[in-house]
Amino acid sequence: MDTLAHTATGSPAAMPAMAPPQLDLELRGIRKRYGDFTAVDGVSLKIRKGQFVCLLGPSGCGKTTTLRCVAGLEEPDDGGILIGGREVTKDPPWERDIAMMFQDFALFPHMSVAKNVGFGLEMLKKPKAQIAERVQQVLKSFEIASLADRKPGSLSGGQRQRVALARAMITEPRILLLDEPIGALDYSLRETVMLELKLLQQRTGISFIWVTHDQNEAFSLGDLVVVMNHARIEQQGAPEDILQRPATAFVASFVQGNNVFRGRVVQAADGLLRVETAAGSFLVPGSAQAIGSEVSFSVRAENITDLTGEHHLNQLTARCTTVEYFGSVRRHIFERPDGELLKYDQFGAYAARIAAGQVAVLGWRPQDTVLHTGAAG
Amino acid sequence: MRLGWKLRSNLVGWVLGILTVAFLAYQWLPILTLGLLSFAGPTGGTTFPMNGVSFHWYEELWQASVMNDFKPPLLRSSLLAAACALTTIVLSVMAAQAMRGKFRGNSAFFYLMLLGIMAPGILVGFGFAIMMRLLGVELSWNTTTFLVHVSWTLPFGFLTMLAVFNRFDSRIEEAALTLGASRITTFRRITLPLILPGVIGAGLFGFSLSYDEYPRSMFTTGPDQTLPLAVMGQLDRQLTPEIYAIGTTTTVFSLIAVLLCTSALWAMRRSTSYRKT
Repeated sequence: MDTLAHTATGSPAAMPAMAPPQLDLELRGIRKRYGDFTAVDGVSLKIRKGQFVCLLGPSGCGKTTTLRCVAGLEEPDDGGILIGGREVTKDPPWERDIAMMFQDFALFPHMSVAKNVGFGLEMLKKPKAQIAERVQQVLKSFEIASLADRKPGSLSGGQRQRVALARAMITEPRILLLDEPIGALDYSLRETVMLELKLLQQRTGISFIWVTHDQNEAFSLGDLVVVMNHARIEQQGAPEDILQRPATAFVASFVQGNNVFRGRVVQAADGLLRVETAAGSFLVPGSAQAIGSEVSFSVRAENITDLTGEHHLNQLTARCTTVEYFGSVRRHIFERPDGELLKYDQFGAYAARIAAGQVAVLGWRPQDTVLHTGAAG
Repeated sequence: MRLGWKLRSNLVGWVLGILTVAFLAYQWLPILTLGLLSFAGPTGGTTFPMNGVSFHWYEELWQASVMNDFKPPLLRSSLLAAACALTTIVLSVMAAQAMRGKFRGNSAFFYLMLLGIMAPGILVGFGFAIMMRLLGVELSWNTTTFLVHVSWTLPFGFLTMLAVFNRFDSRIEEAALTLGASRITTFRRITLPLILPGVIGAGLFGFSLSYDEYPRSMFTTGPDQTLPLAVMGQLDRQLTPEIYAIGTTTTVFSLIAVLLCTSALWAMRRSTSYRKT
């Protein structure tokens, strides 16, 4: 088994020094087509034991199909899937060491909560008394013991979510697959549930693969965030990597708070490129790009300032169209010379310096700019 | 004075309600008439006014003469209908499951299945009888008639099951698969209990459509007749209130069967009620 490739990536989490880090899941270039539509196009991924992985992307990007391939609900046309080092590409779902939580929870409507939760153990042919005891224990730990005899139809959304989670976790699978697991919950519940799930994951050490289109979920939960678009992985890395160093224009524009520019390299000197865009000419760190090549880069909204000094070598003049106030952040939306929007965040609850309608000079340092170096598309 | 739209809509509701009641009366009065006339006295005719009131014709039905003994045809028809119901259940669930998988040629399969509803019964029965003669197969109520009846009842069961699966959330099955249940276990533990109301409906279709089927039985049954054939034969010979008695008896039995099924269904629905979010 290949053990070298992944040692360089990720955070230095507590790994036993003697054993090589164990992979819970490895995807080797999986591909899935439906007729003419390619849902997953060569996705490769390595997930270490106990990682919290978020597959993030817009709807139709292939994240759910990828998850369903891991579950065995879809069989990839091409490529391999290894769970715990064992090749399972052709194995049915019931022979894989996984459990799955569905967006609308998919509880068995004709069974009581206790029966739902005990189903996985029943399938393992455990003795009845043992199942009953374990179900009681699990129901208690998920604080749903009082619901044991109720049918799913009479439960609230939050209760159903707990039942679904208890049902999936009771067999202590190697990997828990979660398909938009809090998408069906009331907005007010989501933050609490997210925290609970994160704590549960840390306590149990079970690998979570969480599919979502919500970047707040992905960045606040994931140890590893995998951004997908058009059936491919655009970028994978720690949340900070993706937020601070987006690899493609897609990632930069998908992630909140980035201002994306596209242009042509016209000059290169001292590790800086001068890029000519429709919104002006800007300096961007980089050296590998040839003069005349098309590039994209981005600058985060919080790295822009209206109090420009001499080190703010990148500047543009724009009119503020609207200001959104979030308490700790004041976000200004400007209209760029090329017609796109420019977001500029002013932190702290200070008095507003710029009002809607005002024209201002905005600037940022070249080193606050990120050149997109990932292979787009 | 202008009437408010709520009031007008109420009035329309009343008119439609009255029409509905009239339609139901139109549907049920003939059966009620037959029921009443079956209790005519021993000298009773077959129309109103009734000549006395008695159970004479029910006794007559029970103590059958050689010429018109309805008990063997009744038994045959019941067995035949039960067999059709079972066959319809098994085949229609399988066919509808196959349709979920969207196989090659599934729409052709769909229309071919429905052909059984479209094709005129007399032609189907007659054609089938000719084919059996060509093949040298002896006609009998429990072989040839059974096959023809299933070709009639199956499409109804099939449509019922298609409608049931159309509303079925297959993620519930997928959840079972990911929890370690094989396909067959998933079907037994999850799918079947959830589609059971539809399955019973398909079975009821199978039973009732076969039980009173005449045109498809006419040429395919051979010497031992089914109940509708026997009743028609009796009508040809002599019309007595005994025919009414048998009609009433079978109607009552059918009603009891339907009531039992629906109440079972209702009880089940109550216990599995599932609010979709």
